[in-house]
Amino acid sequence: MKILTTVKKVVDVELNIHLKDGVIVEDGLQYVINAWDESAVEASVRLKENKGAETTLVSIGGGDNSDMIRRCYAMGIEKGIHIDDPALAKADSSIFAKVLQKVYEKGNYDLVITGKQAQDTDSGQTGIILAEYLGLPCVSNVIAIEVMDDKHIKVSRSGDDGTEIVELELPAVITVDVSINEPRLPQMRGIMMAKKKAIDVMDLAALGTSPDDVGCATPKSGIVEFMASKMRKAGKKFEGDAAEITAQVVNLLANEAKVL
Amino acid sequence: MAKVLVIADIKQGVLKGSTAELLSKAKSIGAETAVVAIGCNINMLIPNLVSAGSDTQYVADDPGLELFSAGPYASCVVDAAKKFDANLIWFGFSENSKALAPRVAARLDAACATEITDVMLSGDQIEVIRPAITNKVIQRVKVNTKKLVAVVRAGAFEATKGIAGTENVVKLSPPEQDLKALIKKILTDASGEIDLADADIVVSVGRGAKDLAGVNLVKELATDLKAGFGSSRAMVDAGLMAHNKQVGQTGKIVAPTLYVAIGISGAIQHLAGMNGSKVILAVNKDPEAPIFNVADYGIVGDLFEVVPILREEIKKIRH
Repeated sequence: MKILTTVKKVVDVELNIHLKDGVIVEDGLQYVINAWDESAVEASVRLKENKGAETTLVSIGGGDNSDMIRRCYAMGIEKGIHIDDPALAKADSSIFAKVLQKVYEKGNYDLVITGKQAQDTDSGQTGIILAEYLGLPCVSNVIAIEVMDDKHIKVSRSGDDGTEIVELELPAVITVDVSINEPRLPQMRGIMMAKKKAIDVMDLAALGTSPDDVGCATPKSGIVEFMASKMRKAGKKFEGDAAEITAQVVNLLANEAKVL
Repeated sequence: MAKVLVIADIKQGVLKGSTAELLSKAKSIGAETAVVAIGCNINMLIPNLVSAGSDTQYVADDPGLELFSAGPYASCVVDAAKKFDANLIWFGFSENSKALAPRVAARLDAACATEITDVMLSGDQIEVIRPAITNKVIQRVKVNTKKLVAVVRAGAFEATKGIAGTENVVKLSPPEQDLKALIKKILTDASGEIDLADADIVVSVGRGAKDLAGVNLVKELATDLKAGFGSSRAMVDAGLMAHNKQVGQTGKIVAPTLYVAIGISGAIQHLAGMNGSKVILAVNKDPEAPIFNVADYGIVGDLFEVVPILREEIKKIRH
């Protein structure tokens, strides 16, 4: 089984984000692997270890991604492709999906695993649109994978009413939730080995396509500006005798907030 | 004139509130409205679809649509969108919506925006507002296509009364089953419980509850309040709560009148799922817990001591 895993470099959401004139201030930002993609990497590596799958990752844009890709190597990914092209600076999900389609078509993969969303945009579209472009079956929000045979996997999807069990014919695309696994921490030996591994960095031309071909001139949407989130303010906090303060708060909920 | 197609939010045979909210917004911007309803044995919901504010009802009612399957469901939406010639296709917030919207957009060659909180129209030009980066910023997004497929964030639009539409039912032919992604069954534990998505009150339990006994204690409070019962990620990962109960950026986004966070520290991923709530009550023994930064009312204390008192006091005023 050949697996293609997608990985995105994103801002660290634990740090503060500052805005100036409608754009995010780069200074002071730190970049990390998207948490959902890290789970996709872990899921792929487990399929390599348990089922002998071959693992390739692809990352698009984001400048120098070598630290992140080497971290994935240290986790157990075998091959890494980085598509970097200035034409992708304002790419939307559809354009990312088009680029991934080109990568997929060059590699003859059986399974694509993506994180279900990226923590910078929180959009959750790229993997699903990719499946549509490829005409492949797709299940999103996957929380468990079981290999049935060479041509089928069984996945659990966390749906609205419970966990759905879906049998998928390969090739297929799945998008995973972070709860599918606990990604491993890279070990020293893996980190050392990862340093020597090559990363296949290419632009769109090297991928056999062009900015026009993947739609760079006509993104379906674009960000006009960023604005500050409306922050909630801390309200009334009560400390002291539990019986007393609890009674007080219930009274406020009923008579001040009028929500009881 | 804008033409808005709203995807009816039907769960276990019931039409959910988001449908009327989205149709209300559509009417408020002067749009022509239609709704598409997909499922099995849903014809009896047609009067509800009309009173929710739709002027055309596309209905795909077929035994093959009993269980959610993204491919065939998306086909129904695309079919309705083409028949209606919709330029705005709106889903209420749900896991199924998140699975469908990008598919529908890809098939219609339309832009797709998830988690939108507002939409602005100026002639043919569409713009939307949506949070990003775990709710740390808000984006204003310009749509470059004539059509937009969007998932509307929970609580973004309000339902207005007296917006009933007219009955004009169009039956859709059932789509082919997706044999390559065959849904076998749903393991559900939601029967008889109040749906988190449109509960007026949500009570959520976090790591502070420790174990199943703690979870059950908090669940009793939820039962008293007739509230939806949710969870932080920690309790789902620990196997103490079902996955579809998780409130947060990766789970359910809720915006109830009252959100009660019990033993939840308040990681930003959790806050991103509930900070649209009208009023937030937090109980946590750590006075420095970040949940208190967003809570309107905070009780610093041990939940095992506070929750029983909370139940008693609430009973007193509600008796």
